[in-house]
Amino acid sequence: MRLVGIISALLMATALTWAETVAVRTPDLSGLESAVAAQIGEMQGLLTAQTASSAADPLGVARAYGDLGQVYLAYGFNDAAADCFRNAADLDGKEARWPYLLGATLQSSGKLDDAAAAFARALELAPAAAAGYVHLGEIRLLQGRPEEAEAVLAKALATPAVVAAAHSLLGQAALARREFSAAARHLEAALAAVPAANRLHYPLALAYRGLGDRAKTEEHLKQAGQVGLKPPDPWLEAVTDLRVGERIALMRGRVAARAGRYADAEQEFRKALAAQPKSVEARVNLGSMLALREDRAGAVAQFRDALRLDPANATAHFNLAALLADGPERGEALEHAAAAVAAWPGDAEARRLYAQLLRDGGRLAEALPEYARAVELAPGDETARLGEAETLVRLARYAEARRKLEAGLSQMPASGLLSHALARLLAACPDRSVRDGNRALELAMAVWNAQPAAPHGETVALALAELDRCTEAAEWQRKAIDAARQEGLESRLGELARALSVYEKGSPCRP
Amino acid sequence: MPSVIVLAVLAVLPSADLFVDRAADWGLVFTYKTGQSGELYMPEIMGGGAALLDYDGDGDLDAFVVQGHALKPGSADPGPAGWGRLFRNDLITFAGKNPLPRFIDVTEASAIRATGYGMGIATGDYDNDGWMDLYLASFGPNQLWHNNGDGTFTDVTAKAGVDDLHWSTGATFADLDRDGWLDLFVLNYVDFSVANNVRCFAASTRKDFCGPSTFAPVPDRLLRNRRDGTFEDVSLPSGVGRKPGPGLGVVANDLNSDGWLDLFVANDGADNFLWLNQRDFTFREDGLISGVAVNAAGRPEAGMGIAVGDADGDGDDDLLITHLTAETNTFYVNLGGGVFEDRTALSGLGAPSLPFTGFGTSWIDVENDGLLDLAAFNGAVNLAGAMGSGEGLGPYAQPDQLFRNLGGGRFKDASAEAGVSFLTPKVSRGAAFGDVDNDGDTDILVVDADTPVRLLVNESGSRNPWLGLRLVGRPAGAKAERDLLGTRVEILRKGAPSIWRRAATDGSYESANDPRVLVGLGSSSEVTGVRVLWPDGLAETFPAPPLRAYTKLVRGTGKELPK
Repeated sequence: MRLVGIISALLMATALTWAETVAVRTPDLSGLESAVAAQIGEMQGLLTAQTASSAADPLGVARAYGDLGQVYLAYGFNDAAADCFRNAADLDGKEARWPYLLGATLQSSGKLDDAAAAFARALELAPAAAAGYVHLGEIRLLQGRPEEAEAVLAKALATPAVVAAAHSLLGQAALARREFSAAARHLEAALAAVPAANRLHYPLALAYRGLGDRAKTEEHLKQAGQVGLKPPDPWLEAVTDLRVGERIALMRGRVAARAGRYADAEQEFRKALAAQPKSVEARVNLGSMLALREDRAGAVAQFRDALRLDPANATAHFNLAALLADGPERGEALEHAAAAVAAWPGDAEARRLYAQLLRDGGRLAEALPEYARAVELAPGDETARLGEAETLVRLARYAEARRKLEAGLSQMPASGLLSHALARLLAACPDRSVRDGNRALELAMAVWNAQPAAPHGETVALALAELDRCTEAAEWQRKAIDAARQEGLESRLGELARALSVYEKGSPCRP
Repeated sequence: MPSVIVLAVLAVLPSADLFVDRAADWGLVFTYKTGQSGELYMPEIMGGGAALLDYDGDGDLDAFVVQGHALKPGSADPGPAGWGRLFRNDLITFAGKNPLPRFIDVTEASAIRATGYGMGIATGDYDNDGWMDLYLASFGPNQLWHNNGDGTFTDVTAKAGVDDLHWSTGATFADLDRDGWLDLFVLNYVDFSVANNVRCFAASTRKDFCGPSTFAPVPDRLLRNRRDGTFEDVSLPSGVGRKPGPGLGVVANDLNSDGWLDLFVANDGADNFLWLNQRDFTFREDGLISGVAVNAAGRPEAGMGIAVGDADGDGDDDLLITHLTAETNTFYVNLGGGVFEDRTALSGLGAPSLPFTGFGTSWIDVENDGLLDLAAFNGAVNLAGAMGSGEGLGPYAQPDQLFRNLGGGRFKDASAEAGVSFLTPKVSRGAAFGDVDNDGDTDILVVDADTPVRLLVNESGSRNPWLGLRLVGRPAGAKAERDLLGTRVEILRKGAPSIWRRAATDGSYESANDPRVLVGLGSSSEVTGVRVLWPDGLAETFPAPPLRAYTKLVRGTGKELPK
């Protein structure tokens, strides 16, 4: 910290000796990760060394300002970065990179007029820096000047690397002017060039909505996602690449994970761990990525290491419990789930997992209140409601199970999971007083119609059998057997066939 | 640096600011304390809100402000200092002069013990007894305070069945089934708890508040009024509870003009919801095709506050959502029938909002010229938007903004005219809008984090002609008249376009507004009548009310119009 302070003071002093430069605002570097503070300090030192030399070359000083500006920009110190880029641009009037980066810095700070001027200057110096046209077009769009945006973006259409981005923005400019045909044309072109950029389906849908084409509107709305279109932007990408340390890697990893890029996320979390081997967060995140990539052993190892470093880490406990729940280490899983619930008493998912492990371990009476709490915390959690009902069934509390399932269905009438469970119970409950064949049949048919799968066909057959409609039950059981074959459920065929033979014998065939 | 900027601006300010902060002068002395722990718990950067309501029925607006407190385990119980406060407005009227509000803290006498970590407020008379009740949305248990009509309130949360286990940020009372009884929508945010807090970092790698994507979004809750003082949870069967979202703003408004109140939810960093009322207490989420779920580029934004009103003067309500730094505030223009278009860029509302993180907001006709202007109250939630400096939340402070409506869907940044209070950076959150001094223009109660509340008194609006309306009725089974929230009025003018306004308390951020309708008339003050669309579908006309006064219009006493 002291070292950085001294360098900053030197920097201010030296800046004053350069009449053509502005004093660079000194960002507060307290609280930064040490690797980052050191990196910034090093760049500040290089600038100080450059400016301190009596034979300082203005181009060398410009470069030093530019390099420091890039590091500042990489870590979000935009004001200081802008000062540096201004100085660099003033000292080296032929280098396009500095006004370009100045433009990008000002654009991200919302200073659009100045940003536009900087990009315009950069493009004068380097007309081939085509991403600059895209930035300038974006700025003009934000400023509500679509005609100017269109004029700028037209220049970008000649450069293959940014043509898709140009079309995308031209589409949005046309949309802003309510020129829906032109908007559709440009956005279709952008999507044809980069089909993965599914976010563009949304403005395209709006263009078709404006044209009154309902079918195409809906078609594109269905495809709309969150992958944007980012043209190659080498100077800005170089700035991003400057970022170092655990925290940056953690942030990048999280972004990648959220986007479903698990391999990239894993790499970033490994980098974070390399930068800070004692980072519990990096280990927990790495473990999660390994689990998502189906490296169960690797994931378990990371979570166990994380718990060695931080025995109270609830995320590690929860994840470990979830991973071990289906394996031979259920006892350990239960301990971790209990720890997660203790740490997060209001977390429905942890509560459900704990309940499930209790139930699977035969501790049914203990599982019940945990399921009840999970349902209370997340009334829309069908799995928790089902688990609660299943536990009641295993406790032979059938009427209560029925009531719970009915209550769940009254809240979620469209729930196939609950409908199916209730249909089963009403068709084949060991306590015959709980049964209701007609309602079971109604529910089972609805489930089958929504999803014609083997277990659903089997439930229709059960319901028909409960009504003693044995011939129909046999017919449906055959359907269920066919479906089971198609679904690869060979192991169930014997059981299904046994029930079929009961139905085929005719009345009485109640299960 | 910001202080230098402020001083420079001060030097060129016109002498007559549009708004002047008179909170302390008028006795409204209160500071919302976020309870900064150093752990950067998310709630410490999100609250809180205020309400302007006439709880004692004396014709002027009183104020309620929620309160925060330390969340760190082991923190001392703050006692009454950690409660939300109720301030009674004892408006003093002088002959020939503007009335002068005087606020008295009556929390103790009111029996309100708002002990939760306060976030949002909804106001409405849920039991139709003629007195405005309070619903307090909190990080932690929510509370419904029944107004007993004698200056006291009773906590009826458990009896009414309206608590919520999630982190709630707001709520709205609305008669969604047109039965004359207010239902309740509770807005929930994310699955954060002190126990599941995680470390988040700014781009600089400095520790910073987490964003909403760090935690799972949670579903909102819809409670149907059973007309007996209790509510039925219909979240799941209505559809509303089946779609989780990080909600920070909510309004009930007939956005597709079919005569039934819909629900619009501004989500933080996720698609907004437009729940269209299917008239059977189920709702269809139609945000995407309606054009209000994401901006024109298809990007979900960090929705915070909502301004809803007829900003373009075409007879239906438009939406403006305040957003995060580096996003614009987004202006969705209602084209009719529930179809919206993002007109942010061309309106002039977008680019100037880019550096700011907006929270409390509303369309208000500042100078009563008949055109709705826009106020937005700002304050960063992360260091990417930091403009200030100093300890605590100092770096997160930002100036507020006022946009003047130029007509034709165009706006101009007029923050410099708004007054020094707008220009001084603060971490602003909730803002409640209403005519506190009954002088015919809209004042604003602003809650800033860890600094005293501001009561921004409008110094200009009452110069132009205006009329005020209170829209009341006595639904079947009601004990008394109440404000019929959701009522729309059309002010018919001779030789000038009609002006449409809506009676509502919801909107803005975490706050509740004046239920009365205030209409600036500008230079076209010859009013020929008022057409009223009551929330139950009845349409009536009333003769022109007097200017420069508030008039009560009672449902069923006008001339009924054919459906």
